[in-house]
Amino acid sequence: MTAQRGRFGRLRQLLLSDYFVLYLTIVMYVSAAIILPRLGRPNTLALPGNIANQFTNIWPLLAVAIGQTFVLIIGGIDLSVGATMGITSVVGGLFMAQTLDAATFDKSPLWGSLISEQGGILLTRFGSNEDAVLIGILVMLLIGLLIGFLNGVAITRFRMAPFMVTLVTLTFFSSFALWLTASRNVSGLPEDFVRLGNGDIVSVFLGPKLESQIARREILPFITYPAVISLGLAFVGQFILSRTVFGRQMMSIGTNPKTSQISGLPSARVVIMVYMFSGFCAAVASILYSARIGFGQPSLGGGNILLDIIGAAVIGGTSLFGGKGSVRGTVLGVAFFVFLANVLNAMQLSPFIIDAVKGGVILIAAFLDVTRTRLLTQEQR
Amino acid sequence: MPVLETHDLKKAFFGIPAVRGVSITAEAGQILGLIGQNGAGKSTLMNMLGGVVQADSGEMHLNGKRYTPQSPADAHKSQVAFIHQELNLFTNMTIAENIFIDDFPSFGFGPFKFVDWRIVREKTRTVLNEVGLNIAPDTTVDRISPGERQLVEIARALYMNASLIIFDEPTTSLTARETDNLFALMQRLRESGKAIIYISHILRDVQTLSDSIAVMRDGQLVTQEPVESFNIQRMISLMVGRNIDNLFPARTTTPTETPLLTLEGISAAGIVENVSFTLHKNEVLGVFGLMGSGRTELARILFGLDSFERGTITVDGKQLHHASPKESIRHHIAFVTENRREEGLLMNINISDNIALASLNDFGSIPLQAIDQERLETASQHMAGVLQLRSGDIRTQTVKALSGGNQQKVVIAKWLLSNPKVFIMDEPTRGIDVGAKFEIYSIIDQLAASGSGVLFISSELEELVGMCDRIVVMSRGEIFGEFLRGDFTEEAILHAAFHQERVEVPDEKPA
Amino acid sequence: MKSLRSVSQVLVNNSTIVLFIAVFVVFGLSSPLFFQPDSVINNIIKASAYTGITAVGITFVLLTGGIDLSLGSNMYLSSVIAGLLMRNQHIGVVPALIVAMLVGMIYGYLNAMCVVRLKIIPFMVTLATLVIGRGIGTALTESKQIDFPIEMGQFGQTPVFGLPMPVIVFVIVAIIGYVVLTRMPIGRQIYAVGNDPEAAKKAGINTDRVITFVYVFSGFCAGLAGFILISQLTRLDRSFAEGREFDAIAASVLGGTSLFGGIGTVPGAVIGALLTQMVSAGLIFNNVNLYLQPMVSSVIIFIAVLFDSLRTATQERLKRRFIRPLEPEKTKT
Repeated sequence: MTAQRGRFGRLRQLLLSDYFVLYLTIVMYVSAAIILPRLGRPNTLALPGNIANQFTNIWPLLAVAIGQTFVLIIGGIDLSVGATMGITSVVGGLFMAQTLDAATFDKSPLWGSLISEQGGILLTRFGSNEDAVLIGILVMLLIGLLIGFLNGVAITRFRMAPFMVTLVTLTFFSSFALWLTASRNVSGLPEDFVRLGNGDIVSVFLGPKLESQIARREILPFITYPAVISLGLAFVGQFILSRTVFGRQMMSIGTNPKTSQISGLPSARVVIMVYMFSGFCAAVASILYSARIGFGQPSLGGGNILLDIIGAAVIGGTSLFGGKGSVRGTVLGVAFFVFLANVLNAMQLSPFIIDAVKGGVILIAAFLDVTRTRLLTQEQR
Repeated sequence: MPVLETHDLKKAFFGIPAVRGVSITAEAGQILGLIGQNGAGKSTLMNMLGGVVQADSGEMHLNGKRYTPQSPADAHKSQVAFIHQELNLFTNMTIAENIFIDDFPSFGFGPFKFVDWRIVREKTRTVLNEVGLNIAPDTTVDRISPGERQLVEIARALYMNASLIIFDEPTTSLTARETDNLFALMQRLRESGKAIIYISHILRDVQTLSDSIAVMRDGQLVTQEPVESFNIQRMISLMVGRNIDNLFPARTTTPTETPLLTLEGISAAGIVENVSFTLHKNEVLGVFGLMGSGRTELARILFGLDSFERGTITVDGKQLHHASPKESIRHHIAFVTENRREEGLLMNINISDNIALASLNDFGSIPLQAIDQERLETASQHMAGVLQLRSGDIRTQTVKALSGGNQQKVVIAKWLLSNPKVFIMDEPTRGIDVGAKFEIYSIIDQLAASGSGVLFISSELEELVGMCDRIVVMSRGEIFGEFLRGDFTEEAILHAAFHQERVEVPDEKPA
Repeated sequence: MKSLRSVSQVLVNNSTIVLFIAVFVVFGLSSPLFFQPDSVINNIIKASAYTGITAVGITFVLLTGGIDLSLGSNMYLSSVIAGLLMRNQHIGVVPALIVAMLVGMIYGYLNAMCVVRLKIIPFMVTLATLVIGRGIGTALTESKQIDFPIEMGQFGQTPVFGLPMPVIVFVIVAIIGYVVLTRMPIGRQIYAVGNDPEAAKKAGINTDRVITFVYVFSGFCAGLAGFILISQLTRLDRSFAEGREFDAIAASVLGGTSLFGGIGTVPGAVIGALLTQMVSAGLIFNNVNLYLQPMVSSVIIFIAVLFDSLRTATQERLKRRFIRPLEPEKTKT
């Protein structure tokens, strides 16, 4: 397969390269760092803390984007991840809360029965807050898996369109979250949990199960809990995708469902598990976000997060048609997106303009995807 | 001056020639019958006429003027109507709407045009009358039978005032009465001066209808002569060609008595009726039939893709209960479909992964365990070698770049890796050139020799005659004959295939 | 057994109407105030007008197999531009209305160009224009809310033929939509494109033109609906019409529109919009917790989509090619 040479040969190669996005990110950042002072804006980009800050924003977004990548690869879509984040944040918080204010929460349907002034569900019902963080996290992950399961079953069993199913789950669970807390944020979370989201590994003690994860002790601002967790998830995801039978089955189903069916692949099972994984990833993201902000937030995952997630995936090379994508690409895509937002922020544009620019970037990314596909098809001839 | 003239038309797909320099003529007020085996190039030729594909070289002239349609819409404008075998009707709309969809009679001005439904209905009724279809114009297409739908397509062509009408296998879904209507209609069209090209496998019909017949074989025009110079015998021999000798490898085994796959009374309303036969070990059992006779439908039922209502399927002594591809694979059945690009391969994925697709669990049993990539590649490479696959590095090259024959080998390799005992192959040599066909035939022989049974479904009679131990003939979803090797007469088999083309209704005399 | 089967068949095929009647009866029984004509008109029909207008518009898009996620941002942006012109250039209400409709149409046209020329899938295009539109609108207003002049409010409260203004506009749009889809050539071509875009091209239909048309129409409805809604609120802030596209899509799908294209009607979309509003109103009348309302609505939408899938599955089975008569051939007359 000789690549076509000629005037555009180089450009074509660049476009098709896997690391295209990485180059783009670096170019963008460097040029912005140079241009900004000339625009008369303070060059916040050059500050060392700035880059570290950006990474903090990357980790939770990366977690949920990994799950969405899986869904996109099999040719589906999961609109409900934001709601999953909200509901898990809330339920986790309600489990773990050490104290709850009556004036704030007495409107909640759970007040009195499951939650009270003594604290969240664990304290009220079970009287003890031991292993609260561990239980809270497990509950959150379980809910994520459950929502994913519901989505998957509706799509495979009832043959409903993924768009509509996940739209319904989105509406249902986001309002469910609001209902449970009467729109309030759940504060009073255990300190250990909060530290999970804020890094600073030195001398942190978490539950016995999770402590073994923490090997690095040096204070390198990049290596924080969220970093470890997200990157760990990314490694697992990439491993599954590229090195396991399940990953092959996913790629196959996303490429051609008919061939997959005739070749005996357990399509329904794969689809359900992929949606469950997406729910799981959303729950992980929720853990990281909730820990970072320090409370359970029913509106977590609201707003335009879907834009960021899908945009990052598409920029990273995942095709909306299915059959194409990688976790590595998504990592690069998320990095690009976060850095882009940072650059735009540094230009002191309003958040809405930033969103608009993001929208434009996504459009360009989608267009590039179409062009890339067309180039690849031509090259094969 | 003939309505249509083609000069040396050539077309190749992915390097394989489909039409190699064909020059035919169609005259006004005459019916030209076009016959030939599958893969002879008839469809490609017609697709060029209909603007669906563009010729690589050569010219077409319509009424003396150069004719170069870039799209079906261009063909319409030049008044060439193409009644495809796969209908292009919109099932969510009425008959009337389908006929007038691109050109509604309307009133109003500028952008504010309103459909004049009264005129639409009137004209629809007229045009339906002409084709002999007695259905209300407001009936939605999804409620009428395939035969009726075909008549609607023809009505569309008539409304278009076509001067050249091409019919591609029009009678496959028609009942006897509908067919008679169609033929009467064609005579009327002929008398009104239209030029008609009629493609069909049903030689008797072609002979009755046509004024002249063109025979194609292997992408070339064998001859175009007035109908008087043909009889069925001659038509068949010209279609088939007499050089059968070196086309097929010698068979190395004969079938044993051990049954591998037994069907008893398989029936599904509207699809198949009371199908029973047995496939034995070491046997190549051919299933012959014309387009639309139900062979692929039967294969899908056998493999568990579609359901059936009555009957039993027994594989190696065990009865199949829960139909699904997974179940079938578990019972060591393999299915090479007739549509490898859409159903057999993952086009943009590398060869090795395609070969391993049906046997992934052999390389990594627990879901999250890493695939033994080395073992997978070795196994794929081995299979590729066994089948003599010609390609680049199977780990990086995608299937898309392979020739048809090699693509088919990949599909076969995939199934071989799953260790099947029963191989269902539906049109395995479709779209493959002569040299590669020989290789596929050898593979089929080897499969039988190694103890499997092969169900060889095809509409190319000569390859079945060349390769099979036994041939059963299907027509309209039923089995209508069984022939043993040694008793293979092409004429007899073809006649059995035609047998049910005119269903004998009690008070109707056969045509 | 057979009659049970056919009854359930009828239920599935007409699920929307069935649901509509069921909900109406249930809520009517539990709260007699529900049935008062006054309340019906104001709380149900008038409140559903905005979703109804946009649902009619988006039905056009869905019929071709596409989607328009930018509806809400379109409503917002066209109202912003109209509002700014009213405030700064002092144009009247009617010119402002025309501006809103025009902006809506242009917005839709831009969507269409990306789909048709750049060949990007509608989901991505409209997801992007969703944020772009809102961003531009917010930038234009510098994130501040716009207060519309008195004439706007007066306009909004003017009854037409004794009915509230939004209701009349809703009726007009529904009639226009219905007429276009059923009585004009391009309407019928929309159904063809949705059913089979390839066959549509082969039949000589200009599919690019058809697709452009539906997005422009959807944009038009968005601009119009946004303006009418503002005329009731007289105040435009930056979260205006957020999420409205999902309401419109849900109403249309509830009314029988298929997301795969080719199936759907304007009356269906109207019923869908009325149904969703009726559910909300009914819940309010029965003093159901405010938080539970979206949950109930989403369950109802789920059921409707479920029925739609079941219906599609049955139709698929019926489309299987028959190669022999289902019953022995009868002598036809």
